[in-house]
Parts: sequence; C-alpha cells; structure tokens
Amino acid sequence: MALSSPKPLAALKAEALGQTLPPLLLAAERVATTVAQGVHGRRRTGRGDSFWQYRPFAEGDGADRIDWRQSGRSDRLFVRETEWEAAQTAYLWVADGAAMRWHSADAAPKRDRAVLLALALASLLLRGGEYVRLLGAAAHPASGRAALPAIAGLLDQTEMREQPLPPRLAVPRHAHVILIGDFLEPLDSVQAAVTGFAALPVTGHILQVLDPAEADLPFRGRVRFQGLGNRQAGGSILVPKVETIRAEYQKRLQAQIAGLGAIAGAAGWKASLHRTDHAPNTALLALYEALANR
Amino acid sequence: MIFAEPWLLLAFLVLPLLWWLLRASPPAPRTQSFPALRLLADLEATAESPERTPPWLMALRILALACLILGLANPILNPRRGMAGAGPLLIVLDNGWAAAGDWPDRAATARAAIQAADRSDRPVALLMTAAEIDGRMPAILGPMAARDALARLAAVEPQAWAPDRAADTRALDGWRHAASSVLFIDDGITAPHDEAAFRAALARVGSVTDARALGTAALLQAPEERDGALLIRLAAVPQPVARHFAVLAQGSTGNTLNRIALDLPAGQAEVSAPLGLPTMLANSVTKLLMAGAPSVGGTLLLDRQWRHRIVGLASTAGTNADAPLVGPLFYLNRALGPDVDIRRGGLMDLLSQPLSVLILSDRPLTSPDEVAAVTRFVRQGGLLIRFGGPMTGETADTLLPVHLLRQDRSLGGALSWNKPEPLAPFPATSPFAGLPIPKDVSVSRQLLADPASLTGVNVWATLADGTPLVSSAPMGQGRIVLFHVTADADWSSLPLSGLFPDMLDRLIHLASGTGDGDPKARLAPYSIMNGFGEMNAPSAAASPIEADQLATTQPSPRTPPGLYGTAGDRHALNLGPSLPAPTSAGPVPGSTPGGLSGRLAERDLGPMLTALAIALLILDLLASLLLRGALRWHRKANVTLALVLGLSLVAAYPAHSAETVPQAALQTSLGYVVTGNSSVDRLSRDGLASLSDFVSSRSAAVLGPPVGVVPGRDDLSLYPLLYWPILPGGAAPTGASTAALNQFMENGGIILIDTEGSDVGAPGSGSGLQPGAAQALRQAVAGLDIPPLTPLTSRHVLAHSFYLLRDFPGRYDGAPIWVTQTPEASNDGVSPIIIGANDWAAAWDMNQDGSFPYSTMPGSDQQRLYAYRFGMNLVMYALTGTYKGDQVHVPAILERLGQ
Repeated sequence: MALSSPKPLAALKAEALGQTLPPLLLAAERVATTVAQGVHGRRRTGRGDSFWQYRPFAEGDGADRIDWRQSGRSDRLFVRETEWEAAQTAYLWVADGAAMRWHSADAAPKRDRAVLLALALASLLLRGGEYVRLLGAAAHPASGRAALPAIAGLLDQTEMREQPLPPRLAVPRHAHVILIGDFLEPLDSVQAAVTGFAALPVTGHILQVLDPAEADLPFRGRVRFQGLGNRQAGGSILVPKVETIRAEYQKRLQAQIAGLGAIAGAAGWKASLHRTDHAPNTALLALYEALANR
Repeated sequence: MIFAEPWLLLAFLVLPLLWWLLRASPPAPRTQSFPALRLLADLEATAESPERTPPWLMALRILALACLILGLANPILNPRRGMAGAGPLLIVLDNGWAAAGDWPDRAATARAAIQAADRSDRPVALLMTAAEIDGRMPAILGPMAARDALARLAAVEPQAWAPDRAADTRALDGWRHAASSVLFIDDGITAPHDEAAFRAALARVGSVTDARALGTAALLQAPEERDGALLIRLAAVPQPVARHFAVLAQGSTGNTLNRIALDLPAGQAEVSAPLGLPTMLANSVTKLLMAGAPSVGGTLLLDRQWRHRIVGLASTAGTNADAPLVGPLFYLNRALGPDVDIRRGGLMDLLSQPLSVLILSDRPLTSPDEVAAVTRFVRQGGLLIRFGGPMTGETADTLLPVHLLRQDRSLGGALSWNKPEPLAPFPATSPFAGLPIPKDVSVSRQLLADPASLTGVNVWATLADGTPLVSSAPMGQGRIVLFHVTADADWSSLPLSGLFPDMLDRLIHLASGTGDGDPKARLAPYSIMNGFGEMNAPSAAASPIEADQLATTQPSPRTPPGLYGTAGDRHALNLGPSLPAPTSAGPVPGSTPGGLSGRLAERDLGPMLTALAIALLILDLLASLLLRGALRWHRKANVTLALVLGLSLVAAYPAHSAETVPQAALQTSLGYVVTGNSSVDRLSRDGLASLSDFVSSRSAAVLGPPVGVVPGRDDLSLYPLLYWPILPGGAAPTGASTAALNQFMENGGIILIDTEGSDVGAPGSGSGLQPGAAQALRQAVAGLDIPPLTPLTSRHVLAHSFYLLRDFPGRYDGAPIWVTQTPEASNDGVSPIIIGANDWAAAWDMNQDGSFPYSTMPGSDQQRLYAYRFGMNLVMYALTGTYKGDQVHVPAILERLGQ
C-alpha cells in the first residue's frame, strides 16, 4: 500500500520544495477526456462536488437523490444535480543517461535536479487535484497527495531509465506533457519527439537542465574531453588550450538553447533553462508560472 | 667538506640534457569527461598548443636531481683528516695549567688525531709538555701502536704548573724519525722559560700542525690590599672582544659568600674588582674560584696573610682619651690607619666579638672578670698590645710581659740632669728589625721593668741606655706586648713620629701569624691542588718549603700549589702570583694552523641530501598529478594539506606559534622590578623563585616562577607583589614607571622596597653594607604617592598573616621596616608599600642542592627560617589582604600570642 509504505527521500525533498508554492491547477482550455474527477468544471451535470442545478424529480430517480430541503419548500420533489468536474492530466518525463548523471566539481548531477523538480511539480499538481502520470511508465499512480512516493518509485524503474529523449507514446488529447532533460541532442531528434506530441494535440513544456560546466566550459589548458553514454561513446577530443575555444563553444550552446526554444514555440509549447548551480526554487517557480491556470 | 664519491658529481653533466628534454616535451593533458562533446566536435583546430612544462616545475625537478646527485656523492662535513707524511705521528700535548679550561677539547683533538693515524696505520708518539706529578721530566713516549697511545692519552691530566719548555726542547732534539709529522696541541701561552727555543725545536722535527685554542686561560693573580679592602686581580691573554668573568669568594665549607663580576674589556690583559664583603665576612673567605671550567689558574687559596685584622680599642671611661692631639686613642686611631678594621667600645663588649688585636692604653686590668676574659682572649691566639701610663705603674697587673717597678723614670725633666733618651737600633730578632729610626724620637718618661723579670722576655725595642721600650712575652697561643710609654705625646715623641704607625703595623701583622714562627721553618705540604684546582692529598714528590721562600717559590712537581704547614697554621702557595701575566705565544714557525676540533663531530650529509631529493620528487609528483587533473584540488584536500603542512611547520618551530600571553596571567607569580644590574636582577629572580617554592610547598597558594617587570612597559596588574631592590647609582625612575607604580599601588598591589643593606650608622646588621642606600631610596620613591609610614611591629597583620612573627630578618637583621601608618579605607587597610633594608632576596636564594649561596648576618639557621617565614607572611598578605586582621580571629590569635 502506498499509504503505509515510507515515502522515499526524494519525495520528501520534493514536497518540502513544493511547500513554498500554492497548489498548482493546470491552465487547460480543454481538459483531457478522462473519467478522472478533478477540479476543472465541465459546465454540465455530472459527478462533482459543486452545485449545478435543481431539477424536478423524474420517474426512475432513486429516492435517495431527492433533496428534501429544497422539496420541503414546495409541493414538488426536486433532485439536486452537481457539475461535472474533471481533472487535467499531466504527463511528466525526466531524461536519463550517463550524460544526465554527469556533474562537474561543484554541482549535483543533472538527473538528481531534474527528478527533484519533477517530483516537486508533481507534488504541486497532486495538491491541486490534478492527475499526474509518468510518460512511459508501466503503472499509473493514483490521485491525491499519497501518490507522490509512488511516482518517486516509478521514476527509478528500469523502463524509465536510459532515455536521453522522450519516447513517442500515445497520451490522451489535451493532456499536458512536461519534459525535463539536458536536450543536448541534435535539434532534429528533439523536434521529431516534440512534434509527435504536438500533433495529438497535447500542450507541453520543456525544461532544459544544464550543468554549470556545460554552460561555461571553465576548463583551462590542455584537456582531452571524453564523451559519455551512448552519444559518441568512447569518442574523445583533445583540445590544446581550452581558453581559446570557450567563446565559440558558448556560441554553439546558445544556438542549441535557442533552437530548443524555437521547437517549443512552433508546437505552442514553452521552454525554459535551469542550471544546476542555481537554486531549484527559481526553476520550480518558472514552471509554476508557465503552467498555472490564471 | 669532502666528497666520499666525488666521481658521482660527473652526473651533473646530465642536468642540461634533462633541462632540454623537459622543455621539449609538453606535459600530458588532463582527461575530462564532458557531456556536451558534440558541441566541441570540430573546434580543436582553433588553437596552437603553447603548453610547456611550467618553469617552476622544471626548476623543482632539476633541484631534486641535483640534490640526489650531491647526496649520492656523499659529502662529509668536518672530516677528520689524517696528518700528512708517512712516518710516525708525534703528538705534542700541552698539559700545563693553561690547558685545564678546555681540557676535554684538547684530549678529544688528540684522540681524533690518534684515530686518524690508526686508520692509516701510522705509529704514534706522545709528548706531554708539563712535568709529571711524580717529578719525571717530560719525555717522548713511543712511537707505539695507536691503541697503546690511546690508553696512554686516557691517563693524561693537566698539571698545576707551566710546561717545562727546556725539558721539552731536549726531548724534541732527541727525536730521530724521518718523515714524521707533528700535531702540536698548543695552549698558546708563553711559558716562563725557553718558549722560543721550544717552538724552534718543534719546527725542526717535521711538518707541524699547530692546533691552537683561543687562549681562554685566565689567571687569578695575587690580590692587593687597597684602602682596607681586598682587590681581586685577574689576568688573561688580551683578546679583541670583551669578556666577562665571575669570581666566587668561598668560605671554608665551600659556601659562596660573594660573586664578583669582572668585565675584561677588549684588548686588555688585566682587570680587578674589590671583594665587596665586610671585613668579618672577608676574613672567612678561604678560596677565590673563577666560575666556569675549573682550573688551577682560576683558583686562589687565601691564607691568613690576607685576613684583615680587627683591632679593638678599649675606651677608658671618664677620661678624655679621644680628645684630638691630647688623648691616646686619637694617636692610635691615626697610626692604625685605614687598613685595619678598628672597633671601639668597652672592654667586655669588644671581647664578645671576634678580634685579632686588643689595644689597651694605660688601662689597668683590675676586676677579676676582665682579667679572665682578656686572659682567655690571649690564650686563644689574640694579640694584646698595652701602653704604659701613670695608672699602669700604680696597680699590680698580671697581664704584663714584665714585672714593672712602682716608680716610673723621668728623663730630661726640669729637675733632672739627664736628657730625653733616643732609641737604640732594633735587635735582629725583633719584629721591628730594619725599621729606620728617626733622629728626633726621644723618650722623656718610661715605665721601668724589674731587671730580675727580664729573663725569658722578648725585648723588641730598647732605649739607647738599654732599658726596654717594648717588651713582649707569649701566653698560650697569643702574645702580650707592652709599650713602656704612653700612646700620646706626654711621655715620648714616639707617637708623633712616622715610626709609630710602622711599629704598630708590624705588630698587627704578628697577629696574623705570618711572622710568628721561625722564618726558616720548613712547611710540609698539607694539601695540594691538581690541574683543575681540586684539593688532593700531597703527592710523594711534594717537598717542604721554607716559610720565607713561600712567596718566591715557582710551582713545580716538587712544590705543587696548595696549602703548606699544619692544620692550624696553613700557608698558601698559589699558581697565579708566581707566574707572570699570561701572554700569547706566536704559532710555531712554518706550521699549519689548526684548531681544537674535538667537539665538531664528523657529519655525513649524504642521507640528508638524498632525503631532501626524495621529498622534492614527491612534491614534483604531486604537482604533476595536480596539473594533469588526476588529483582534484578539492577544498577538503586543501584543508588537509594545509593542516599537514601547518602541523609540520608548527612542529619544526614550536616557539613561533606561541603568542605572548603573559605567563603571570596564567599562573599567580611574584614580580620583581628589573633594575638593569644583571647580578641584582638574577638575585631577585632566584630569591623570589626559592620563596615561591617555599610558599607553594607550605600553603595552598601555588606560585609560578617570578617574572621581571619594567614598570611603565609591562602590565603590573597581574602581580600581587612586586619586589623592588633599590641600589645606589641606579637610574632615576622615569615618569611612566612612577605613574605605573602609583597606579599599581592604587589598585591594591603591594611593593616591597629593599635597599639590600643600609648606610653606615643605620640600625641593623646590614649597616654600612650599602653606602648611599638612603639617598638612592629617596631618589627612587620621589614621585610615588606614599602615605605616612610607621615601623612594622608584631601587632601588624604582616606579623600574623601566616606565621606569628616578632621580627622580620632577611640576610641582615634589625633594620626597621616601614609600612603605612593608618589603615586606609581605599585599599582595604592593606599597606601598598613596605620598605626595608634586610636584603630578603639574598636570604631566600637557595641553590639547587639546598645550600644557600649567601650567608646570613649575624647569621643563624633561625634567621634564615624567619626570613622565609616573613616571605610567606608577605605573600599571604598580598594574596589575602587583612583577612587575618579581621576581628573574628582576634581571640584565637591573642590566645596563641599569649602562649
């Protein structure tokens, strides 16, 4: 049982981080057509907590559905109907791989930060009554705040690991997709992944998490750089003097970031950047601002 | 410095090659994993590699290799080089008196030379230049095997006389070995005879290495008597630097009575200083000893010749004996002069203290008590000198050398035909023999001796008509001398003449016993000194010396320096007075100069350099790893490395890290005011240290070592008690120091001012030992806020703050001690100042072995004990204030005081 099992440490950290913000209600023009009950009113009768209308008692209604208080005011019997309230569903995805687990001397691994931000976002969404699912996960966690440890557990499962780019999976239409990763892959492959979602249609957000060493290239002198993970595994580049290529490298990195923003914009999504040497709150706040229903 | 493997130094040729190699090859790149490798993909061509090994790393490597090469070449510092030549090695070792000071070095030098000769299988011969103690002349021993020479050397000691250069020269002239080399371990001092001939003979023998010491030997010369004080004289070879000597004046039990500092300026050969002891103490000095390495040259035995005689002048009650130009005591005073210590007083008072000579001027001894006391004095060796007069002739008196006729005799009076009689020449047996007799001395009145009683009496001076003027007779160990005239000018013109002081001087020297015995008496050796100045039983070769030859005898194996005579009558033969002042002898002509290298051990520098090289290589390894990124420059590693380096530095220089927290802030300590006079400051420190130990062992107070402070510079607030010795001639206190002391007193501190003796005429046994003390005290305390003072009594809290005390002695006793008059509310009734003159620090001062370097005066163990008790009370008073003065304790204290 999720309730009785101890919450993983990651979930606790994420909850603590999420405590600083109010519950997050996703901005949704059109809510994904799921049966999950939520807070997004559908302006029609259905399951929900909010009062919608009284209607006269009709044959076939159960006696227990009669609102006796209202019926006592007149001679007719009334049935109380509530508004159909549905929950928005958010699909989270966190990149993984040797590159995501890499970190420079003064920073934490990018994967850790990405998971933390994902869980904090999940915590906020769960508190807002939304549904949180993991893109590509085998099992679907329940709703409610108790689901957070389960989400944390699911993030560690093998089918969620070693994915530098999001898998192309079917998600309900009008759901939200939040992609977190370093997105240092060639822009073509990123675009293929994003346009696949956007065609469904699905709205989404891309959070790029970078190590400070990746952003600044702080090395000096004669350095042999070695690749990581499955991208150019084993490859290496000998740079005689790193200082001389720093500006050029940063130009390329900016181009990568700008390209990512363009891909997101074309799909109607948003993109943001986070460095692991910065506080996670800022990134979480930026996500909140981008996703909140205002 | 030599190299054991000099050919290894050729490896230095490789270093430039290494330099070139290191410059040519760039360092290995550091490897860095990096996710965004794709972005770097084709940037590598943008820069040409400027990377070279950093210059400091290259210097480090070159240095490490240089150290390694040097270390493997095994340099040796202070190597013991063998002497040149192939024949036997002759070691000429000066073992006269001048070698005693640095004898261990000399012996070590000889030993090292023998060992070096042993390594090259050369035979060794030894010549000790001073005669042996059994009288054997110096002769060359050997050549022999080095092992035998070592055994011989071990038995050699410095002798108490100068080297016998004539015999040495003969021995050297008899040396017939070709190709021999000579190591001359030279005392550097010109021997009394044949020094130049000896050195020339030495130069003829072979190649000479002249190992010379610095000429540190110093010689205590015969002291001089000047103005009644003993002047210590010390002679040494002049040196271009100033030197400091200290001479200890020791009593018969080896107790140090005084320590005299002698500062020999650069280029000077002789220095002198007064003994600085009152006569009574000076008389108990039996030995002067130079502090430092013991040697016979630095030891001077004092016999009775150097004792000051204390002359008692008995005053006669009721007469004007003291009146100038009229009274007899006036003439005696003038005649005795400043060389003797004159005591005045009643007869019985005088006899109660040690006296050498008692002079009675026309004073009949009538009462049986007086007769008994004077008889005892004379029988114990005292000299009684009596002068005649009208009263002497009238009363029968047994303490006279002759029987006197009742009638005195007048010559040349108004009713007489005869004229005043002149003096006859002194007989040869008389102590006055040889004194010139002025023409104008005449005697007009004299006491006549009964001719029948003149047998067995020494008549030392007669008038021209043969009647005795001075008669004498022994009595017990002492002697009675009678002048048949008065000590004033009434009866004769003798007291007006220059002869009178000379006669008295001769007489007073009798009291010392020097002229007492037969001048031809043979004095057997009683105890002799060895080369280190230690007293030993006489050797077989030591022979008696005639008494009158003692002053001119040269110390030798037959007449070693030491004491001659019997236990009761000892005469000293010293080395110093018989030798000329030491002068430096030039080096042996044509010799190679050497030094005493005994203490400089051979040192192998190889392992040290190799270790240094390894350390540098480790450093290089670390630096390379750092450069390649294999070793991360983590903050933790930084801290650890800094800690390790820091700790090793701290371990190497522990003193550097000690910040100046005053020691007295950590532990209660007594303070003393630094006067700038090193001996006084040392005494203050040692005395307070002994007192601190005493207090720590007897009470709950635990005191740290005393601290010297300079008021105005140091923080006085840390000290409960300040000991302030005030000496004449000290600098006047500055305004800052006075202000600091005032504030110290205001804040509850206590100052103990000690003048360490007082002026002539002041009360107490320290009287006269510190002339100018009152003036110095006045000058020192001029600016201090001193409340009205009152003498310290046994009712004061100080007298019962720990022990119950009635008096408060230090080294001296009896001087009044001043404390504040009225308890002041401001300072809780504690007297902020205590002024005395009893020299407490000297009384407290105790040696490591529990003996006391300064004797107390008048002196008793009780006095020392009370001095310590006063110190304890003082410390308790300083620490607890008037606690013991509280009313609640009064009944108990009264009860104990009453017991």
